[in-house]
Amino acid sequence: MKPTIDQLLARYYEGETTLDEENQLRAYFQHTESIPDHLLPHASLFQYVTSARAGQLSPDFTTRLDQKLVPQPVRAMGRVRQLTTWGMRLAAGVALLLIGFAGGQFYSRQSPDAAESVELATTGHPAGESIRKTLAFDAVAQTSASDRIHAINQSAELDRADREITQLLINTLNFDANVNVRLAACQALVRFEQEEGVREALIQSLRIQKDPNVQLTLIDALVAIKEKRAAADMQRLARNQQVLDIVRLKAEEGAGALSQVARSTS
Amino acid sequence: MDLQAFKQQILPIQNRLFRLATMFLRNREDAEDALQDVLMRLWSNRQQLNTYQSVEALAVQMTKNLCLDRLKSHARQKNVDKADLGSVAASQLSPYRQLELADSADRMRQLIDQLPNVQKLVLHLRDVEEYSFEEIEQVTGLSINAIRVALSRARQRLRDGYLKLNDYEADY
Repeated sequence: MKPTIDQLLARYYEGETTLDEENQLRAYFQHTESIPDHLLPHASLFQYVTSARAGQLSPDFTTRLDQKLVPQPVRAMGRVRQLTTWGMRLAAGVALLLIGFAGGQFYSRQSPDAAESVELATTGHPAGESIRKTLAFDAVAQTSASDRIHAINQSAELDRADREITQLLINTLNFDANVNVRLAACQALVRFEQEEGVREALIQSLRIQKDPNVQLTLIDALVAIKEKRAAADMQRLARNQQVLDIVRLKAEEGAGALSQVARSTS
Repeated sequence: MDLQAFKQQILPIQNRLFRLATMFLRNREDAEDALQDVLMRLWSNRQQLNTYQSVEALAVQMTKNLCLDRLKSHARQKNVDKADLGSVAASQLSPYRQLELADSADRMRQLIDQLPNVQKLVLHLRDVEEYSFEEIEQVTGLSINAIRVALSRARQRLRDGYLKLNDYEADY
Protein backbone atom coordinates (compact mmCIF):
# COMPACT_ATOMS: atom_id res chain seq x y z
CA MET A 1 0.00 0.00 0.00
CA LYS A 2 1.12 3.43 -0.79
CA PRO A 3 2.24 5.32 2.29
CA THR A 4 0.26 8.41 3.12
CA ILE A 5 1.72 11.84 3.07
CA ASP A 6 1.71 11.93 6.84
CA GLN A 7 3.70 8.74 7.01
CA LEU A 8 6.09 9.99 4.43
CA LEU A 9 6.50 13.23 6.34
CA ALA A 10 7.27 11.43 9.54
CA ARG A 11 9.96 9.41 7.83
CA TYR A 12 11.19 12.49 6.07
CA TYR A 13 11.83 14.24 9.34
CA GLU A 14 13.67 11.20 10.56
CA GLY A 15 15.89 11.34 7.52
CA GLU A 16 14.75 7.96 6.36
CA THR A 17 12.93 8.69 3.16
CA THR A 18 14.40 7.69 -0.17
CA LEU A 19 15.04 10.20 -2.90
CA ASP A 20 11.95 8.93 -4.68
CA GLU A 21 9.74 9.46 -1.69
CA GLU A 22 11.16 12.89 -1.17
CA ASN A 23 10.29 13.72 -4.73
CA GLN A 24 6.74 12.58 -4.08
CA LEU A 25 6.56 14.86 -1.12
CA ARG A 26 7.90 17.80 -3.06
CA ALA A 27 5.46 17.17 -5.87
CA TYR A 28 2.64 16.97 -3.37
CA PHE A 29 3.53 20.21 -1.66
CA GLN A 30 4.01 22.01 -4.91
CA HIS A 31 0.28 22.61 -5.25
CA THR A 32 -0.54 24.74 -2.29
CA GLU A 33 -4.31 24.73 -2.88
CA SER A 34 -4.82 21.01 -2.31
CA ILE A 35 -2.85 20.80 0.90
CA PRO A 36 -4.88 20.31 4.06
CA ASP A 37 -4.35 22.95 6.71
CA HIS A 38 -2.52 20.77 9.17
CA LEU A 39 0.11 20.01 6.55
CA LEU A 40 0.57 23.59 5.37
CA PRO A 41 3.50 24.45 7.70
CA HIS A 42 5.51 21.67 6.07
CA ALA A 43 4.99 23.04 2.59
CA SER A 44 7.37 25.89 3.10
CA LEU A 45 10.49 23.75 3.27
CA PHE A 46 9.59 21.82 0.13
CA GLN A 47 8.76 24.99 -1.69
CA TYR A 48 12.05 26.46 -0.63
CA VAL A 49 13.83 23.40 -1.95
CA THR A 50 11.98 23.58 -5.24
CA SER A 51 12.78 27.24 -5.69
CA ALA A 52 16.38 26.69 -4.65
CA ARG A 53 16.68 24.06 -7.34
CA ALA A 54 15.73 26.59 -9.94
CA GLY A 55 18.83 28.57 -9.16
CA GLN A 56 20.87 28.94 -12.31
CA LEU A 57 24.08 30.66 -13.10
CA SER A 58 23.83 33.84 -15.06
CA PRO A 59 24.25 33.12 -18.76
CA ASP A 60 27.45 35.10 -19.13
CA PHE A 61 29.15 33.26 -16.29
CA THR A 62 30.69 30.70 -18.57
CA THR A 63 32.12 33.26 -20.91
CA ARG A 64 33.51 35.23 -18.01
CA LEU A 65 34.98 32.05 -16.62
CA ASP A 66 36.45 31.15 -19.98
CA GLN A 67 38.22 34.44 -20.08
CA LYS A 68 39.77 33.70 -16.73
CA LEU A 69 40.40 30.04 -17.27
CA VAL A 70 42.39 30.41 -20.43
CA PRO A 71 44.80 32.91 -19.05
CA GLN A 72 47.89 31.37 -20.55
CA PRO A 73 47.00 31.18 -24.23
CA VAL A 74 44.48 34.01 -24.31
CA ARG A 75 46.47 36.32 -22.17
CA ALA A 76 49.65 35.38 -23.94
CA MET A 77 48.00 36.12 -27.24
CA GLY A 78 46.49 39.23 -25.82
CA ARG A 79 49.85 40.21 -24.47
CA VAL A 80 51.51 39.61 -27.80
CA ARG A 81 48.79 41.48 -29.55
CA GLN A 82 49.03 44.23 -27.04
CA LEU A 83 52.76 44.19 -27.39
CA THR A 84 52.48 44.58 -31.10
CA THR A 85 49.99 47.35 -30.76
CA TRP A 86 52.15 48.89 -28.12
CA GLY A 87 55.10 48.15 -30.31
CA MET A 88 53.33 49.80 -33.18
CA ARG A 89 52.57 52.79 -31.03
CA LEU A 90 56.12 52.93 -29.83
CA ALA A 91 57.43 52.50 -33.33
CA ALA A 92 55.13 55.22 -34.55
CA GLY A 93 56.27 57.48 -31.76
CA VAL A 94 59.92 56.75 -32.38
CA ALA A 95 59.45 57.18 -36.10
CA LEU A 96 57.82 60.54 -35.51
CA LEU A 97 60.67 61.59 -33.28
CA LEU A 98 63.22 60.40 -35.82
CA ILE A 99 61.45 62.23 -38.61
CA GLY A 100 61.40 65.31 -36.45
CA PHE A 101 65.08 65.02 -35.65
CA ALA A 102 65.97 64.25 -39.25
CA GLY A 103 63.96 67.22 -40.41
CA GLY A 104 65.64 69.39 -37.84
CA GLN A 105 69.07 68.12 -38.83
CA PHE A 106 68.29 68.58 -42.49
CA TYR A 107 67.19 72.15 -42.06
CA SER A 108 69.90 73.10 -39.64
CA ARG A 109 72.45 71.64 -42.06
CA GLN A 110 70.96 73.56 -44.92
CA SER A 111 70.35 76.81 -43.18
CA PRO A 112 73.94 77.23 -41.98
CA ASP A 113 74.99 77.04 -45.63
CA ALA A 114 72.40 79.58 -46.53
CA ALA A 115 73.33 81.68 -43.56
CA GLU A 116 76.97 81.42 -44.51
CA SER A 117 76.32 82.46 -48.06
CA VAL A 118 74.22 85.35 -46.86
CA GLU A 119 76.99 86.24 -44.46
CA LEU A 120 79.55 86.05 -47.22
CA ALA A 121 77.44 88.20 -49.41
CA THR A 122 76.80 90.76 -46.74
CA THR A 123 80.31 90.82 -45.27
CA GLY A 124 82.53 90.12 -48.25
CA HIS A 125 80.71 92.01 -50.96
CA PRO A 126 77.72 93.52 -49.29
CA ALA A 127 74.64 93.18 -51.47
CA GLY A 128 76.91 93.12 -54.48
CA GLU A 129 76.69 89.39 -54.86
CA SER A 130 72.93 89.22 -54.86
CA ILE A 131 72.67 92.22 -57.14
CA ARG A 132 75.05 90.56 -59.53
CA LYS A 133 73.13 87.33 -59.31
CA THR A 134 69.74 88.86 -59.84
CA LEU A 135 70.64 91.30 -62.51
CA ALA A 136 72.84 88.95 -64.51
CA PHE A 137 71.67 88.91 -68.08
CA ASP A 138 70.87 85.26 -68.24
CA ALA A 139 68.93 85.45 -64.97
CA VAL A 140 66.30 87.78 -66.34
CA ALA A 141 64.09 84.93 -67.32
CA GLN A 142 64.09 83.50 -63.80
CA THR A 143 63.74 86.67 -61.77
CA SER A 144 60.65 88.75 -61.36
CA ALA A 145 60.56 92.51 -61.81
CA SER A 146 60.19 93.01 -58.09
CA ASP A 147 63.21 90.79 -57.49
CA ARG A 148 65.25 92.96 -59.78
CA ILE A 149 63.96 96.18 -58.25
CA HIS A 150 64.79 94.78 -54.87
CA ALA A 151 68.26 93.90 -56.06
CA ILE A 152 68.73 97.37 -57.46
CA ASN A 153 67.53 98.95 -54.25
CA GLN A 154 70.07 96.83 -52.44
CA SER A 155 72.74 98.76 -54.25
CA ALA A 156 71.74 101.73 -52.14
CA GLU A 157 73.44 99.95 -49.26
CA LEU A 158 76.73 100.07 -51.13
CA ASP A 159 78.95 103.02 -50.38
CA ARG A 160 80.61 102.64 -53.72
CA ALA A 161 80.02 100.33 -56.60
CA ASP A 162 82.61 98.66 -58.69
CA ARG A 163 82.72 98.68 -62.40
CA GLU A 164 80.82 95.45 -62.67
CA ILE A 165 77.81 96.63 -60.71
CA THR A 166 77.50 99.92 -62.49
CA GLN A 167 77.74 98.05 -65.77
CA LEU A 168 74.94 95.76 -64.62
CA LEU A 169 72.84 98.71 -63.61
CA ILE A 170 73.50 100.39 -66.94
CA ASN A 171 72.51 97.25 -68.76
CA THR A 172 69.37 97.04 -66.72
CA LEU A 173 68.61 100.68 -67.40
CA ASN A 174 69.00 100.21 -71.11
CA PHE A 175 67.61 96.79 -71.70
CA ASP A 176 65.27 95.69 -68.93
CA ALA A 177 61.79 94.93 -70.18
CA ASN A 178 60.12 96.46 -67.17
CA VAL A 179 59.80 100.21 -66.94
CA ASN A 180 59.84 100.25 -63.18
CA VAL A 181 63.04 98.26 -63.11
CA ARG A 182 64.59 100.71 -65.52
CA LEU A 183 63.44 103.63 -63.38
CA ALA A 184 64.91 102.00 -60.31
CA ALA A 185 68.16 101.36 -62.17
CA CYS A 186 68.23 104.97 -63.28
CA GLN A 187 67.79 106.24 -59.72
CA ALA A 188 70.41 103.83 -58.50
CA LEU A 189 72.87 104.99 -61.12
CA VAL A 190 72.41 108.60 -60.07
CA ARG A 191 73.87 107.67 -56.74
CA PHE A 192 76.96 106.37 -58.46
CA GLU A 193 77.41 109.43 -60.64
CA GLN A 194 81.05 109.70 -59.72
CA GLU A 195 81.81 106.21 -61.01
CA GLU A 196 83.45 106.19 -64.35
CA GLY A 197 81.16 105.60 -67.29
CA VAL A 198 77.97 106.25 -65.35
CA ARG A 199 77.47 109.77 -66.65
CA GLU A 200 78.20 108.72 -70.18
CA ALA A 201 75.84 105.80 -69.81
CA LEU A 202 73.08 108.09 -68.61
CA ILE A 203 73.57 110.43 -71.56
CA GLN A 204 73.61 107.52 -73.91
CA SER A 205 70.54 106.05 -72.32
CA LEU A 206 68.68 109.29 -72.91
CA ARG A 207 69.08 108.66 -76.60
CA ILE A 208 67.90 105.09 -76.36
CA GLN A 209 64.97 105.30 -73.97
CA LYS A 210 61.54 105.50 -75.54
CA ASP A 211 59.42 105.39 -72.39
CA PRO A 212 58.38 108.90 -71.33
CA ASN A 213 58.62 108.03 -67.66
CA VAL A 214 62.19 106.89 -67.95
CA GLN A 215 62.98 109.84 -70.21
CA LEU A 216 61.63 112.27 -67.64
CA THR A 217 63.52 110.57 -64.83
CA LEU A 218 66.71 110.59 -66.89
CA ILE A 219 66.37 114.30 -67.65
CA ASP A 220 65.79 115.01 -63.98
CA ALA A 221 68.75 112.88 -63.06
CA LEU A 222 71.06 114.51 -65.60
CA VAL A 223 70.04 117.97 -64.44
CA ALA A 224 70.53 116.92 -60.84
CA ILE A 225 74.06 115.73 -61.49
CA LYS A 226 74.66 118.79 -63.68
CA GLU A 227 75.78 116.80 -66.66
CA LYS A 228 76.45 119.53 -69.18
CA ARG A 229 77.24 117.14 -71.94
CA ALA A 230 73.63 116.00 -71.93
CA ALA A 231 72.36 119.41 -72.99
CA ALA A 232 72.80 118.67 -76.68
CA ASP A 233 70.93 115.42 -76.38
CA MET A 234 68.14 117.08 -74.49
CA GLN A 235 67.76 119.74 -77.15
CA ARG A 236 67.58 117.05 -79.73
CA LEU A 237 64.92 115.33 -77.66
CA ALA A 238 63.03 118.57 -77.33
CA ARG A 239 63.00 118.93 -81.08
CA ASN A 240 61.92 115.34 -81.65
CA GLN A 241 58.29 115.38 -82.75
CA GLN A 242 57.76 111.75 -81.86
CA VAL A 243 58.18 112.11 -78.14
CA LEU A 244 55.49 113.32 -75.82
CA ASP A 245 55.01 117.04 -75.34
CA ILE A 246 55.64 116.81 -71.64
CA VAL A 247 58.95 115.08 -72.29
CA ARG A 248 59.91 117.67 -74.88
CA LEU A 249 59.08 120.47 -72.46
CA LYS A 250 61.02 118.74 -69.73
CA ALA A 251 63.94 118.18 -72.09
CA GLU A 252 63.94 121.81 -73.11
CA GLU A 253 63.80 122.87 -69.49
CA GLY A 254 66.61 120.48 -68.65
CA ALA A 255 68.68 121.68 -71.56
CA GLY A 256 68.16 125.24 -70.45
CA ALA A 257 69.12 124.44 -66.91
CA LEU A 258 72.23 122.58 -68.01
CA SER A 259 73.34 125.33 -70.38
CA GLN A 260 72.83 127.80 -67.55
CA VAL A 261 75.01 125.65 -65.35
CA ALA A 262 77.58 125.47 -68.14
CA ARG A 263 77.49 129.20 -68.55
CA SER A 264 77.76 129.91 -64.85
CA THR A 265 80.74 127.58 -64.43
CA SER A 266 82.61 128.75 -67.51
CA MET B 1 43.84 17.90 -19.20
CA ASP B 2 42.89 20.50 -21.69
CA LEU B 3 40.20 23.09 -21.35
CA GLN B 4 37.66 21.10 -23.28
CA ALA B 5 37.93 18.08 -21.02
CA PHE B 6 37.91 20.29 -17.97
CA LYS B 7 34.77 22.02 -19.06
CA GLN B 8 33.11 18.75 -19.84
CA GLN B 9 33.65 17.74 -16.27
CA ILE B 10 32.73 21.07 -14.77
CA LEU B 11 29.81 22.13 -16.90
CA PRO B 12 27.28 19.59 -15.51
CA ILE B 13 28.06 20.48 -11.93
CA GLN B 14 28.61 24.19 -12.04
CA ASN B 15 24.97 25.01 -11.52
CA ARG B 16 24.99 22.75 -8.49
CA LEU B 17 28.01 24.45 -7.10
CA PHE B 18 26.39 27.75 -7.76
CA ARG B 19 23.27 26.79 -5.84
CA LEU B 20 25.39 25.56 -3.00
CA ALA B 21 27.30 28.80 -2.91
CA THR B 22 24.07 30.74 -3.10
CA MET B 23 22.72 28.77 -0.17
CA PHE B 24 25.73 29.70 1.90
CA LEU B 25 26.33 33.23 0.74
CA ARG B 26 22.72 34.31 0.14
CA ASN B 27 23.77 36.46 -2.73
CA ARG B 28 23.99 35.82 -6.44
CA GLU B 29 27.04 37.94 -7.13
CA ASP B 30 28.99 36.57 -4.20
CA ALA B 31 28.03 33.04 -5.17
CA GLU B 32 29.18 33.46 -8.74
CA ASP B 33 32.33 35.06 -7.52
CA ALA B 34 33.02 32.19 -5.18
CA LEU B 35 32.22 29.65 -7.85
CA GLN B 36 34.59 31.33 -10.21
CA ASP B 37 37.29 31.09 -7.60
CA VAL B 38 36.58 27.41 -7.08
CA LEU B 39 36.67 26.62 -10.76
CA MET B 40 39.85 28.53 -11.22
CA ARG B 41 41.48 26.65 -8.39
CA LEU B 42 40.33 23.41 -9.93
CA TRP B 43 41.73 24.50 -13.25
CA SER B 44 45.08 25.42 -11.84
CA ASN B 45 45.20 22.04 -10.11
CA ARG B 46 44.00 20.20 -13.17
CA GLN B 47 47.08 17.98 -13.26
CA GLN B 48 46.11 16.36 -9.96
CA LEU B 49 42.41 16.29 -10.76
CA ASN B 50 42.52 12.77 -12.12
CA THR B 51 43.86 11.44 -8.85
CA TYR B 52 40.62 12.31 -7.10
CA GLN B 53 37.83 9.82 -7.07
CA SER B 54 35.16 12.32 -7.89
CA VAL B 55 35.77 15.77 -9.21
CA GLU B 56 32.27 16.70 -8.19
CA ALA B 57 32.84 15.77 -4.57
CA LEU B 58 36.05 17.71 -4.59
CA ALA B 59 34.38 20.70 -6.15
CA VAL B 60 31.53 20.63 -3.67
CA GLN B 61 33.97 20.43 -0.82
CA MET B 62 36.01 23.28 -2.17
CA THR B 63 32.93 25.39 -2.70
CA LYS B 64 31.70 24.71 0.79
CA ASN B 65 35.04 25.57 2.34
CA LEU B 66 35.46 28.67 0.28
CA CYS B 67 31.98 29.88 1.11
CA LEU B 68 32.48 29.27 4.82
CA ASP B 69 35.80 31.08 4.66
CA ARG B 70 34.16 33.98 2.96
CA LEU B 71 31.31 34.06 5.41
CA LYS B 72 33.81 34.12 8.22
CA SER B 73 35.85 36.94 6.81
CA HIS B 74 32.69 38.67 5.76
CA ALA B 75 31.27 38.40 9.23
CA ARG B 76 34.50 39.64 10.68
CA GLN B 77 34.62 42.51 8.26
CA LYS B 78 31.08 43.72 8.72
CA ASN B 79 28.97 41.66 11.02
CA VAL B 80 26.73 44.70 11.34
CA ASP B 81 25.22 43.96 7.95
CA LYS B 82 24.16 40.48 8.83
CA ALA B 83 20.55 41.50 9.28
CA ASP B 84 20.54 42.88 5.78
CA LEU B 85 21.80 39.77 4.12
CA GLY B 86 18.43 38.06 4.05
CA SER B 87 16.68 40.98 2.48
CA VAL B 88 19.51 41.45 0.02
CA ALA B 89 19.21 37.84 -1.01
CA ALA B 90 15.46 38.16 -1.25
CA SER B 91 15.76 41.16 -3.53
CA GLN B 92 17.80 39.05 -5.93
CA LEU B 93 14.66 37.16 -6.86
CA SER B 94 12.21 38.29 -9.47
CA PRO B 95 9.29 40.39 -8.19
CA TYR B 96 6.88 37.60 -9.03
CA ARG B 97 8.82 35.11 -6.98
CA GLN B 98 9.14 37.59 -4.20
CA LEU B 99 5.41 38.09 -4.05
CA GLU B 100 4.67 34.42 -4.21
CA LEU B 101 7.19 33.32 -1.68
CA ALA B 102 7.70 36.49 0.24
CA ASP B 103 6.46 35.21 3.56
CA SER B 104 7.26 31.58 3.86
CA ALA B 105 10.37 31.57 1.68
CA ASP B 106 11.90 34.45 3.57
CA ARG B 107 11.27 32.79 6.85
CA MET B 108 12.56 29.49 5.60
CA ARG B 109 15.69 31.14 4.33
CA GLN B 110 16.31 32.79 7.63
CA LEU B 111 15.83 29.51 9.41
CA ILE B 112 18.22 27.75 7.10
CA ASP B 113 20.70 30.53 7.69
CA GLN B 114 20.58 29.76 11.36
CA LEU B 115 21.32 26.08 10.91
CA PRO B 116 24.79 24.76 11.74
CA ASN B 117 26.93 24.54 8.64
CA VAL B 118 27.02 20.75 8.54
CA GLN B 119 23.24 20.49 8.70
CA LYS B 120 22.93 23.21 6.13
CA LEU B 121 25.23 21.39 3.78
CA VAL B 122 23.65 17.99 4.24
CA LEU B 123 20.16 19.35 3.84
CA HIS B 124 21.13 21.22 0.73
CA LEU B 125 22.88 18.28 -0.85
CA ARG B 126 20.08 15.92 -0.07
CA ASP B 127 16.98 17.98 -0.67
CA VAL B 128 18.07 20.45 -3.28
CA GLU B 129 20.63 18.46 -5.19
CA GLU B 130 19.17 15.01 -4.50
CA TYR B 131 22.44 13.41 -3.53
CA SER B 132 22.35 9.87 -2.27
CA PHE B 133 23.72 9.26 1.21
CA GLU B 134 26.77 7.67 -0.34
CA GLU B 135 27.47 10.75 -2.37
CA ILE B 136 27.04 12.96 0.65
CA GLU B 137 29.39 10.71 2.52
CA GLN B 138 31.94 11.19 -0.21
CA VAL B 139 31.63 14.94 -0.06
CA THR B 140 31.44 15.49 3.65
CA GLY B 141 33.43 12.57 4.95
CA LEU B 142 30.71 11.95 7.50
CA SER B 143 29.36 8.46 8.15
CA ILE B 144 25.99 7.66 6.67
CA ASN B 145 24.54 7.52 10.12
CA ALA B 146 25.83 10.94 11.01
CA ILE B 147 24.46 12.25 7.74
CA ARG B 148 21.07 10.83 8.52
CA VAL B 149 21.12 12.38 11.94
CA ALA B 150 22.21 15.74 10.63
CA LEU B 151 19.57 15.65 7.94
CA SER B 152 16.84 14.68 10.31
CA ARG B 153 17.86 17.38 12.79
CA ALA B 154 17.99 19.98 10.10
CA ARG B 155 14.54 19.12 8.81
CA GLN B 156 13.00 18.98 12.22
CA ARG B 157 14.64 22.20 13.24
CA LEU B 158 13.31 23.93 10.20
CA ARG B 159 9.85 22.60 10.83
CA ASP B 160 9.91 23.54 14.48
CA GLY B 161 11.37 26.90 13.76
CA TYR B 162 8.79 27.55 11.15
CA LEU B 163 5.94 26.46 13.36
CA LYS B 164 7.28 28.59 16.16
CA LEU B 165 7.48 31.61 13.93
CA ASN B 166 3.94 31.04 12.74
CA ASP B 167 2.61 30.46 16.23
CA TYR B 168 4.39 33.54 17.37
CA GLU B 169 2.68 35.49 14.67
CA ALA B 170 -0.64 33.81 15.29
CA ASP B 171 -0.41 34.79 18.95
CA TYR B 172 -0.05 38.34 17.95
